[in-house]
Amino acid sequence: MKCYVCAKAGKDTEAVGICIVCGMGLCMEHAIREDTQVWEGGYPFPATKTQVKIPRILCEECRTALKR
Amino acid sequence: MVTLVKRAVAECIGTLFLVYFGAGAAVITLMIASGTKTATPFNIGIGALGGLGDWIAIGLAFGITIAAVIYGLGRVSGAHINPAVSIALWATKRFPTGDMVSYVFAQIVGASLGSLLFAASVGMDAVTIGGLGATAPFPGISYLQAIIVEFIGTFLLMTAIMGAAVDRNATPGFAGIVIGLTVAGIITTLGNISGASLNPARTFGPFLGDLLLGGSNLWGFFPIYVIGPVLGAVCAALFYDWVSKEE
Repeated sequence: MKCYVCAKAGKDTEAVGICIVCGMGLCMEHAIREDTQVWEGGYPFPATKTQVKIPRILCEECRTALKR
Repeated sequence: MVTLVKRAVAECIGTLFLVYFGAGAAVITLMIASGTKTATPFNIGIGALGGLGDWIAIGLAFGITIAAVIYGLGRVSGAHINPAVSIALWATKRFPTGDMVSYVFAQIVGASLGSLLFAASVGMDAVTIGGLGATAPFPGISYLQAIIVEFIGTFLLMTAIMGAAVDRNATPGFAGIVIGLTVAGIITTLGNISGASLNPARTFGPFLGDLLLGGSNLWGFFPIYVIGPVLGAVCAALFYDWVSKEE
């Protein structure tokens, strides 16, 4: 698989990961690996942030959208 | 997690809604049925309009309100809105003592405010005709029978809570609708026996409202609605832990 962002720019780069939200192939330069906070609880216990964080690979567009 | 004060406020508001809409539905049914002749002394007015349908309507008013509060405030406080539930979770070491005491206090305050707010919304007929939806054993039902009925009803409610929400393997997202419908079903069957409180706070609010606004003094029945629901919920939580434990 090739990096979609690079392909749009006319470059041919191998993808090293896939954005978990949109499925876009991403090269090392365009892949963003970020830890996502995990919440547990809800009825009948108040929701709490856990110590554990889940790593995610995202593209820049999806990362920006999720931060909003 | 939000602060204990905010969680207690959420419990207070949630229980206020429960009493306002749930017990309020019983008041409205009695007000609509006021003056109608009932077939038996066992029928105090609820049931004069649509038979068991009256109880289904009251049960659904409770159930839908409970579902709304669970989905609305469940992530904030856990939406217990019932001292029996808080005590059962505490008794099985799932809930800290300080939080449990604060929740129970907030639930009682919320239920009292809900009753007084309903009386303010409807007027004195809500007290004189509807008794603010207070629960009491129906004609021919003894004190002990009412305790047994409250015990069994709350046992089923707490079992549903354990299976649909507390259990880590429960399917997420269904708790509100399942628990709401469980309460509606229990009230449909047990309403005309003990009043189907299942919740000490839900009974405390109307009892206090009636006392303050010149209605009936029903406090002699209050132990029914503490002993039955609290024992029922604690036994159900212990039962679920035992029955679901893998060897």
